[in-house]
Amino acid sequence: MTPFYFGSGERRLFGIYEPALSGNESARAAVLCHPWGSEYLHAHRAMRQLATKLTRAGFHTLRFDYFGTGDSAGEMTEATLATWESDIESAIDELKNMTRATRVALVGLRLGATLAATVGAKRASDVHGLVLWDPVVSGTEYLTELASQSNPTRQTPAEPSDVTCYEIRGFPLTPNMAREFRTVDLLQLLPALSTPVLIMTTVSLPSHRALYSIPAGRGNESLAIEHMPDISAWIENTTTVGALPVSAMQRIVQWLERCHEYIH
Amino acid sequence: MNTFTEQAVVLGRHKSLVGIVTEPASPPGLKPPTVVILNTGIIHRVGHHRMYVTLSRTLATAGHTVLRFDFSGLGDSARSAEGLPLLKSCLAEISEALDWLETARESCRVILVGLCSGADHALLYGHTDPRIIGLILMDPSIPPTPRYLMHYIRPRLIHMSSWLSVVRGRSRLFQMLVESIAYAVRLKWEPQYVSLESSNGRAHLEWVYQRSVDRGIKFLIIFAGQSSFRQTYREQLLDAFPDVAFAKHLRLEFFEDCDHTFTLESDRRKLIRVILEWMVSTGFAGVAKKTTRLSFAKSAQSDEITW
Repeated sequence: MTPFYFGSGERRLFGIYEPALSGNESARAAVLCHPWGSEYLHAHRAMRQLATKLTRAGFHTLRFDYFGTGDSAGEMTEATLATWESDIESAIDELKNMTRATRVALVGLRLGATLAATVGAKRASDVHGLVLWDPVVSGTEYLTELASQSNPTRQTPAEPSDVTCYEIRGFPLTPNMAREFRTVDLLQLLPALSTPVLIMTTVSLPSHRALYSIPAGRGNESLAIEHMPDISAWIENTTTVGALPVSAMQRIVQWLERCHEYIH
Repeated sequence: MNTFTEQAVVLGRHKSLVGIVTEPASPPGLKPPTVVILNTGIIHRVGHHRMYVTLSRTLATAGHTVLRFDFSGLGDSARSAEGLPLLKSCLAEISEALDWLETARESCRVILVGLCSGADHALLYGHTDPRIIGLILMDPSIPPTPRYLMHYIRPRLIHMSSWLSVVRGRSRLFQMLVESIAYAVRLKWEPQYVSLESSNGRAHLEWVYQRSVDRGIKFLIIFAGQSSFRQTYREQLLDAFPDVAFAKHLRLEFFEDCDHTFTLESDRRKLIRVILEWMVSTGFAGVAKKTTRLSFAKSAQSDEITW
C-alpha cells in the first residue's frame, strides 16, 4: 500500500495505491470514487476493504480524495462537481501510469458513482467497466436527503437561498455546489455510456423506480441493474457500526472480474 | 502561497501505519512542540467533519509540525498481526509514531491531541513517555459525580422508557450503581465491560492524572456540554478527582452548546481558537505572529483568528 500525493501543485490530491496481489497477464486496474461529506467519512472503511478485495482478485487499485475533501489540498468551498470529475480523470491517468493497464474500471459509491458515470461517458476509451454502487440518481432527491441532515436551525439546501454556506452534518456546502447537485440526473447520463455498467442498489429510494423501469436494449446491452439489500456503508448507524456490506462488495468484485474477462 | 506543506508517510515498526505530516512552509527559528493527533473511535485520521485536517493546517501555519495517523486496522493502516489487545496496541503505536518523529523530524517535545477514545489513549500514554509535554483532551472519559447523576436522572424520571430500562436491568445508571456498590463492599464483581468511567476506572484515572501532573505535563481539557451521556457541567472533572493537584497544569473548557463531535463550524472555530490560545499561554506557541488564517467556509465570519 502506497499513500502519496498526485496532481498539480495547487490541486494536490491524496491517494492510496494498492498493487494487485495475484499476478495476471493483462493488467487489471480500478479507480475507486468516494461519496461526499459525512457519507465519505462513514464509507471510508468499506471502500478500503473493497480495494483490498479487488487487489486479491488481481486488480491494481487507486483510492483518492477529491480536491477539498479528506487529506487532499483545498477546501470544500473551492470545489465544483466539474473539478471533481477532472480529479477522477487525473486518478485514471495516474493509475495507468503506475501500472501496465491501458484501461481502468471505475467504482463509485453514492455521489462518487454519479461522478464516475459522467467521467465514464467522457473517457470511454480509458474505462472498461463502471460500477455504480447506490448512485445518486436524482440530484433533487439527494438534496432533500441532505436537507434532512442539515442543522435544523440553519437554512437547508433544498431550496435556493442567498446564504453564504450550508452546513450538512458538519460539512460545508456552497449554494453553487447545491445548484450543481440539483442538476444531477443519472438517467440522462446512462444512454451516453458505451462501457459495461453495473448499477447496484442496497436500499430503495423513490428515484430507483425509474431506474428499474429502464427498458432492455436502451443502447447499452451490458447494463446490469441489481438490488442487493445490505448494510448502507455510508450511513452512521449505532447498530451496525464497524460492520461491512460484504455481499455488496463481493458482487462488485465478481462482476468486475467477469467484465474484465469478457473484454479480454 | 501555501503556509504549510503536507507529506504522506508510512511509519511504525512494521511500516504499516499511514499518516500525514503537515509542516510550516517556513520553519520557525525556535522549534515549537510537535503535535500528534489520534483517531476518534473508528473514524480515520481526517476526523469528524474533516476537523483534524483544518486543525493540522492551522497549527502548521502557526509553526508546529503535526502528524495525524491511523492506528493499525483503522483508516488506511494495515491490521496488526501481533494480536495485542486493542488498548496495548494503540499505546504501542503512539510510541512508534513518536519514535518516527524523533528520527525523521528531530521532535522530542510532543503534544498529543484526542477526542473521546483518542483522548483516553492520549491520557493513558502521556505519563509513560518523557517526550510528552502536553495533552489536549476533548471529551475524555470522566466518572459520574453526584451532581452529574442529579442532572442525568432528573429529566429521565418522567419517562416510562427509563423505568422500563431499570426493570430490565439495561439502565446505564442502574449498572453504574451496581458496580459502585459492588466496588464499595469489595465484592468479586466482573463488570459487563471495562470502562474508565467505572469505579475501578476512576481510581486508575486519578492515578494517571496525578502522575501526569507530577511529570509536568500541561493539560487542555475541553468538554462538550451536549455529551450528556458523559458530563453535564464544567467542574465535573475537578469533582470527580478532588485529590489531583492540577493547579496551573490545567486549562479546563466547557462548550455548553457543543455536541460530542463539534459538528457546527462555529464550535470547531472556537475549539481551534482555544487551542491556539493555550499554546501561547503554556509557552508552546511556535511563532511570534498572533494571527493565523483559518480555512473555514463561512466568509461572513472572520477568516482570521487572533490569539
